[in-house]
Amino acid sequence: MRQPAIPIPSPFESSIAKPGQGKVVLSLLPPNNPTLTTLTYKYPLKLVPRTGGFVPSPDSSALSDTRPSNPVHLYLLTYGGGLLPGDHIEVSITLEPKTRMVVTTPQGSTKIFKTTPNNAGTAPNVIKGHRDQMPANDHLSDMSQQTLDVNIGRQAALCYLPDPSVPFQHSRYAQVQTFTVDATAKGTERSSVCVLDWVTQGRTSRGEDWNFQFWRGRNEVWAEDDKGKRRLLLRDSVILDDESGDLEDTSISDEIEIENENTTYNTTHTGLENPVDMPPQAPAGLTPLNIIAERTRPHGVVGTLILSGPVFEALGSFMLNQFQSQPRIGSRNWSDHAPSSVPEPSGDVTWTAARVRAGFVLVKFGAKDFETAKHWLGGLIREEGSVIREFGEEALCCL
Amino acid sequence: MVLKDTQELEAEVTLLESQLQDARAQLAASEYPSPPSSWAVKEQYKTNNNKLTTSTRTSLHALLLLSDSALPLGSFAYSSGLESYLAHNKPSRTAPITSFHRFLKLSIASIASTSLPYVLAGHRDPSTLDTLDNDLDASTPCIVAQRASIAQGRALIGVWERAFRVSFAGPENPALGQTAAAVAAIDDLSDALKSCLEEDEDLGPKGHFAPLWGVVCRAMGLDLQQTAYVFVMNHAKAVLSAAVRAGVMGPYQAQNVLASQALQDTMMKRIAREWNTPVEQAGQVVPALDLWVGRHELLYSRIFNS
Repeated sequence: MRQPAIPIPSPFESSIAKPGQGKVVLSLLPPNNPTLTTLTYKYPLKLVPRTGGFVPSPDSSALSDTRPSNPVHLYLLTYGGGLLPGDHIEVSITLEPKTRMVVTTPQGSTKIFKTTPNNAGTAPNVIKGHRDQMPANDHLSDMSQQTLDVNIGRQAALCYLPDPSVPFQHSRYAQVQTFTVDATAKGTERSSVCVLDWVTQGRTSRGEDWNFQFWRGRNEVWAEDDKGKRRLLLRDSVILDDESGDLEDTSISDEIEIENENTTYNTTHTGLENPVDMPPQAPAGLTPLNIIAERTRPHGVVGTLILSGPVFEALGSFMLNQFQSQPRIGSRNWSDHAPSSVPEPSGDVTWTAARVRAGFVLVKFGAKDFETAKHWLGGLIREEGSVIREFGEEALCCL
Repeated sequence: MVLKDTQELEAEVTLLESQLQDARAQLAASEYPSPPSSWAVKEQYKTNNNKLTTSTRTSLHALLLLSDSALPLGSFAYSSGLESYLAHNKPSRTAPITSFHRFLKLSIASIASTSLPYVLAGHRDPSTLDTLDNDLDASTPCIVAQRASIAQGRALIGVWERAFRVSFAGPENPALGQTAAAVAAIDDLSDALKSCLEEDEDLGPKGHFAPLWGVVCRAMGLDLQQTAYVFVMNHAKAVLSAAVRAGVMGPYQAQNVLASQALQDTMMKRIAREWNTPVEQAGQVVPALDLWVGRHELLYSRIFNS
């Protein structure tokens, strides 16, 4: 029997088959002309490039004798400003040698919508019906996932300062961001990376306080040599899990959990979480904290900034200096009538900076709320100034 | 005559069968495909109580050696962030003891989610020790924690080489199979550490504590569950010991907490939770702890190294 003819591929069809996938390649065409040689994406993902916005002045770069190439700004967007349960965003970016890219998410925040037992009916109505219907209560499929894979060539630089992720109540989200740098490049030829990853307690206006079910952010930097051999340079992994999934196969159903969230704690976390002969964690009179809030207390936002490579060397050193020049904790002020201990200068921000290995500077912070963190981090980066000199003010549009 | 022979043979078959069963049970106990439960522990000890076999005796001996607080690893020098935590959380509203219980629980959850997968991986496959060492080094976010882990890991290599190696892998009882692989892995890492000059190789071998603990326990004949339990237990002991020296509680109270069912349950729960976590999935579940440990350097006065 004759086989049906293979349909002629549509010329308008994207080369990418799966929804949510995107691919970007930034090349430097001669003489010094950064060009996106590949740019594809598929719903619900949207990638919007903007070139020629900012031109670094020839003498702005302290590190190379040649003029650095102009940065290309890539906006990473999802329809509705966030991710629905089951959405799987997969972005692959390649920065060829000597190119520079700024990636931001101009949406204010990356909302992680809630996972409900039957998400088809109750999903937010931003864009209904377009996305694949996923089976309910299947942990992998109802989780929102985002994968970002960036390859940064010799002397190339990525500046990725996105909005924080804001997981809504009952949401589940996992994100893996992998950055691969050229292992053979040494000294000032190394690839440069600046990555910010931060997560908030949710919508404080709605009283959300770390009420989501699961959030995982993993950032890895790998070095790859010309033979393809890979080595892990840095892994930063934060897991915020309310551990309600541990007891799923008991008689407690999801419906009860959602309808009556005040009793959820009591029913699912008796015994081990609140041992009888250990004192209760919350002061009497207050509702007990959920397990994620307990582990992030007193912060409303936690985050990590990863800096590496020659372009961000100055910023890294600046952060280390700022950290080390903080007043000592618990030192006494011996002058008369002074308060017994020196108050924290930054008050609502608790942070630490360390030069770990391979020249990486890792800044970890916790702050009272999103605005405080934004103001603090944006302030430090602006005060130091090298990011604006190299990438322009638009690199900081999320801060 | 013939009848007697048959009876003897039958008895022998029964004996051999029961021996085979015992051996299988022991193998199953040492491999533990599923997470441990307190039930499994009790069951194991019940069956072993009747006859103390050579293998359980040596593993019990090794267990006691490795859980001894006199084991010279220098653990007493580290408070795992407790000192910094106390400085950051002034006990104005809550009693210090309440605050400490919170820290202990967070600390156990954190060590289980960040380090335990490396302990288990080291025990399961000792030959991957160098990769585990590199990956744990890459995953340790602050230099305070890194220093503590490396110092204790190198101390563990020292104890193994100077004290334990001769008894557990000496010429009289050469190691076999996976135990031999564990011994070889420690030797390789030790050689790599000696031959590597710290200045020129930022990315060289470090000797982190967690994966080494798994491999050393393997070399000394501990099963996977014992290895994990002693690791978490030793951590709890170190934190409690630090609490006594920091003046949070008295020594009797510390022993009371250490002996409590609540602590045992917490530990078992955390171990069970991370039992099948691959090292790539290991991560910090208590972000606030990284901040406290990292800010230990900012304390005006310190009695601990971390």
